[in-house]
Amino acid sequence: MTQLAWRSLRHRATASVATFVAVLLGTALMGSFATLAASASGPVSAADQDTLRTMGTVVGAWGAIIVLSAVVSTVGITVTQREVEIGLLRTVGATPRQTSRLVRAETLLVATLASALGAVLAWLGGGFLLALLRNTDTVQESARYRPGLAPVATAALVVLVSLLGAGFASRRATRGSASITPSEGRPGTARLQWWRIAAAVLLLGYSATMAVVTITVTAHDEDPYSAMATSGQLGILVALALACLAPWLLRVLSAPARPLLGTGPAAYLATYNSRRRARLLSGVLGPVIVLTAAGISVFMIVGTDDRTRPAGFEDDARTINLLNNVVVGMMVVFAAVVVINTFAAVVAHRRAELRQLWLLGATPRQVEASVLAEARGVAAIGVVLGAIASLAAVVPFGVARHEGVVPDGQLWLPPLVMAGAVVLTLLSARSAVRRAHVPAGALQ
Amino acid sequence: MNSPTTASAALEVHGLTRTYGEGAGAATALGGVDLAFVPGTFTAVMGPSGSGKSTFLSCAAGLERPTGGRVLVDGHDITDWAENDRTRLRRERIGFVFQGFHLMPYLTAEQNVALPLRLAGHRPDRARVAALLERVGLADRARHLPGALSGGQQQRVAIARALVTEPAVILADEPTGALDSTTARGVLALLRESVDALQQTVVMVTHDPVAAAYADTVVFLVDGRVAGRMDRPTADAVAGQLTHLSDLVAGGVS
Repeated sequence: MTQLAWRSLRHRATASVATFVAVLLGTALMGSFATLAASASGPVSAADQDTLRTMGTVVGAWGAIIVLSAVVSTVGITVTQREVEIGLLRTVGATPRQTSRLVRAETLLVATLASALGAVLAWLGGGFLLALLRNTDTVQESARYRPGLAPVATAALVVLVSLLGAGFASRRATRGSASITPSEGRPGTARLQWWRIAAAVLLLGYSATMAVVTITVTAHDEDPYSAMATSGQLGILVALALACLAPWLLRVLSAPARPLLGTGPAAYLATYNSRRRARLLSGVLGPVIVLTAAGISVFMIVGTDDRTRPAGFEDDARTINLLNNVVVGMMVVFAAVVVINTFAAVVAHRRAELRQLWLLGATPRQVEASVLAEARGVAAIGVVLGAIASLAAVVPFGVARHEGVVPDGQLWLPPLVMAGAVVLTLLSARSAVRRAHVPAGALQ
Repeated sequence: MNSPTTASAALEVHGLTRTYGEGAGAATALGGVDLAFVPGTFTAVMGPSGSGKSTFLSCAAGLERPTGGRVLVDGHDITDWAENDRTRLRRERIGFVFQGFHLMPYLTAEQNVALPLRLAGHRPDRARVAALLERVGLADRARHLPGALSGGQQQRVAIARALVTEPAVILADEPTGALDSTTARGVLALLRESVDALQQTVVMVTHDPVAAAYADTVVFLVDGRVAGRMDRPTADAVAGQLTHLSDLVAGGVS
């Protein structure tokens, strides 16, 4: 099975690379913060211990949610894309269990390699983070870097989650009778998976509760940062909830987004592809939402905090805002990589189909334009949803700091972040379709 | 656009050659093929594996540029046309039927049929699309996605799509290769009908003698050259001739 897995991996380089990159960066990101939590148990002052532990666990925890959901989604896409091949394996006599084992063996290979490398990056990144904290006098010079087993433990966790994701996806792919025809277009395949709905409801419920808590309870706390602690992450959490619902949202919203796609044959194809194949493209929509929401909500909150901070909290502010900036920076880079990654995987999967379009008489320019029109739709829907999600953090915190529903400044920021996300999405689509080299030429 | 040089043939090739690679390792797929297909005829192109059938179809459709010789579609010499011009010609003057159907999975049957018109920037005539689906017996499946259709139904949609532009010639590449024999007969009958009732011109590459028997004429290719023709073919006669040709190839005679 391992040998088959190895051959199969080499056969689908782009999809493997997508998983590899997601796991690599995910481990590096999560692991860096985990090393801070580990360093907290070293010989450090009580205040430093508190700072390090807070950064490591709090930031690490919601970083983990983003990373793990990205890993699960990437692994899921690569497995879903192989539906026909999995059907073929089953037709020639592989049991669902064997097929699932093949998928997990492949994921294990890629994820282990990637997370091992990611652990090294995490080890370096953690040291860099601690140095940054020392240089900005956030922690004392005496704080020592003691990563311990944190990078390795993170790597193990990410591998485990990847395997879980692969298990989920392969169970879905091997359900029902063996068939080599794609389930696309068969009735019932468009339904949202139960776990997506459950996760979305959970995240939205938690976010709503915390928004209310921010306005009614923590806003009146003596520590001005209590309100930030309860509201700061809500933008990202709501964005994750929307990302869970992305296949459904894309299907529903592709009709109102239709005018953005333009007119002509390419727009026509893009419209139906995004509506009827929402599951595929939603892998891109999710990260665009998270990217936009993370950027807007964290920067806006830092801005509000700067304007409304009571005197005497400058030291706290420095630590917290440094933390915020580092986190949002890492999240944005990570989400951006996932967007690029997913587009590459999705377009590579459609090579054969794009070639068929060309055979039927679409010019290469039309083929490219149809993929770009899809990207425009996804980008537009993504940044609008992301901006809406960011309100979950910006509004409660603004109310808590007496700025009201609309912040007093930095209103130029959301459009800027949205524009950045749109440009990123379009560029990754263009590079994906160019790199796919839709082959023109002979019939066979 | 070139002006028509000959008005009689829907598709003709003169001295068509195609070589892959260069120097000593070069492989000749087509070694000088002359063929003309008269409007309103159904021709099957047959031959053993590696005889150049697919290369012939690719060159005739303007997908691949021949090494030498000329290709004329509907009287236009397309040999030296740029890629975009050949693409436009393909969607307007050539109908394609593929072995793997090649329907866009996210478009319904009627949307797939209308696709060549859309790609050309025309607004599809709904009545015409409906009439074509009716003709191929799928009027009640117009709103279905390909995933909800059987293989035979998908190939019928593909035939309706090939007919929608009223092309000069329909090129079919093993159109029944992925179908069972009963379904295949239905598809072949449809191709036959498009010639008899609609005066279409069909050129079909196949290795199946039963499929070839639906044609008016069979052209045999061996080692990239025309090795014979047969008018009013029967499955048995075609099978016999194919066996003979395969023996020739196996015996190293060409």
